[in-house]
Amino acid sequence: MKNFLLLTLLLIGNGCEPFVVEFPDLSTPKKFEAANVDSNSKTYQGGGIKVLTWNMRFGVGRFSFFGDSCGEDVVADEQTITQTMEAIAETLTVIDPDIVLLQEVDLGSKRTGYWNQIQYLLDNTLLNYGVYASVWEADFIPTDGIGRVNMGNAILSKYEIGSSERIQLRLRTDQSDLIQYFYLRRNILKSEIPELASSSQKKFYAVNIHATAFATDDTKEKHVAKYLEILDSIHSDGHVFVSGGDLNAVPPGASIDYCMNDICEGESYHVDGIDPFHKEGSFFDNFIGEPDILAPLYQLYDPAIAEDFINLPEHYTHAPSTSMLGEGTIRKYDRKIDYLFTNLEWDDMSGHTHQACWELSDHMPISATLSNLTED
Amino acid sequence: MVRSLILLTALLVSITRGSNANWDSHSAHIMPPKKWSVGIFHPIRYGIKEGLELSSYPGWFFVLPNASFKVPLSDFKSFNTATRVSFVYPTPLLNMLSREGIGGMIDPSLTIPPMLGISGSLLMSKELLGVNTTIKSGFDFGLVFGDLDARSNIDLPIIYHRLEVFHNGWGLHTGVDLDRALIRKFRIFMDLDLKLIPDLGTNSKTNNYSMREGDYSIEHKLLLVWERSSTFRAMIGYKLVSGQYPYGKQTRLLPYIPLLERWVPLIELQWLR
Repeated sequence: MKNFLLLTLLLIGNGCEPFVVEFPDLSTPKKFEAANVDSNSKTYQGGGIKVLTWNMRFGVGRFSFFGDSCGEDVVADEQTITQTMEAIAETLTVIDPDIVLLQEVDLGSKRTGYWNQIQYLLDNTLLNYGVYASVWEADFIPTDGIGRVNMGNAILSKYEIGSSERIQLRLRTDQSDLIQYFYLRRNILKSEIPELASSSQKKFYAVNIHATAFATDDTKEKHVAKYLEILDSIHSDGHVFVSGGDLNAVPPGASIDYCMNDICEGESYHVDGIDPFHKEGSFFDNFIGEPDILAPLYQLYDPAIAEDFINLPEHYTHAPSTSMLGEGTIRKYDRKIDYLFTNLEWDDMSGHTHQACWELSDHMPISATLSNLTED
Repeated sequence: MVRSLILLTALLVSITRGSNANWDSHSAHIMPPKKWSVGIFHPIRYGIKEGLELSSYPGWFFVLPNASFKVPLSDFKSFNTATRVSFVYPTPLLNMLSREGIGGMIDPSLTIPPMLGISGSLLMSKELLGVNTTIKSGFDFGLVFGDLDARSNIDLPIIYHRLEVFHNGWGLHTGVDLDRALIRKFRIFMDLDLKLIPDLGTNSKTNNYSMREGDYSIEHKLLLVWERSSTFRAMIGYKLVSGQYPYGKQTRLLPYIPLLERWVPLIELQWLR
């Protein structure tokens, strides 16, 4: 009888786990390891370190998803997911980065057939270790058939990942409590990679961010400020970092209004008396200083794509998957919102925006190579 | 005097038997003719004639047409036995839930075809050591008249495995109900049910895309029952659901209020006439 009561209490305890996962300011991300760790690649042998950032749109490619394009679909079919994930793994194998910063990775979400996309990428690339910090984790989202969801940021690495932190970013303030409860909880993922530290005093960090996309309040300002604070802290402590992600902010000097590029059938923007005047996520002047919000990053740190080139079309990284140039012609990319920075130096001209990957996500990956760390 | 005592005893036995038997919709006992009972979460049950009981959830009827018939069988080794056959047509409700915006539980681009769920159960009831015990087992069949997309499901406890029967074509269920008197007007009710969906998941082309995993579910309910009178009773308790889902194992205590992030007691009221 005692055992029965204990078992019942245990089950009841398990049964009361939160429906929607909320996070403290600091928490420990989940760790992953490839099924077969490549022992030849896990030790740093000298030479450059290639870093890549990619918002991989949860492996659905250009699937007509309702949430970030003019799409109407929610749950991707098996063929779409399988083909896209295989192509993403192949792309990562060909580019062969040492460190990968991923945004929008799914981990057991209904919309992507409950794939563990981190484990899949570790098992099917030359990367060996991973950490994951949820942005959106709920048993069930009761809108649009989303159901169970777990999406977040991940850092994958050939080298073992040391202590890691999930740093909570401020939630949006332009939403009702109900919407906010079921909404994203964005974060910065910070991981130490001991193998790449040049000494015990000079640690090596990888920092990954996915800042707010659709906020119309000052949330983006807070997110970028927090990001700068973390990078500045690493730098001022004498450590080094590679960092980047999807900042959802355009570079200084870029166009700030993409409403008409992103407009969906039946929508109206830039019309007096019709609210909203601008499309959420497509306008980059919601608060004073937003167009130049990334200027401090360019002033303080080395960008993978030099400032002189950031507004050139060959370095655009994003367009919504249904952005159309004309009947039947998809606009592949029209703005830059993804970035890589370091407080070391990228190899000259190593920065590359991989626009050939446009079918695999609505974001293009960016890669760059750090100079030989042993010479540092 | 003797005749009066016999009549009184017969009446008491009849009330006692009727009371215990009629309340429990899951037992092998059949509702007497012209008698009915209804509850907030329980179906309305009606004795159509001697040996035939109809039950249905009337509140759901127009979006989830459903009916269940129970008929007695010959007693088996001192067990009262009965068989129950249930029919449910979930298509209208599921298509209502396949919608955009709040309340959308199925991808709005998916259409649910006509589907008919049929369940057949064997019920065996007997008092064992002062406990009213019912053992039940049976088959579930999901008939689909059209193309049912593999993505058409609701990944919530209780619901998921019931809908998976339509994807799998069939399933099994078995369980036990226990009911015994505590003190005065209080009773305790407990049930434990197992649902099995054999072979589920074998249709997946890869190991990664696992829309069709989750071949069992265990449901357990514990209720404290207050029988205020022979025509009304109230219950309070919990329901625990544990099972395998496409995303792994999960146990959930119900009812659970998401926004409050807390469990609240299950409260049920039932009336008998």
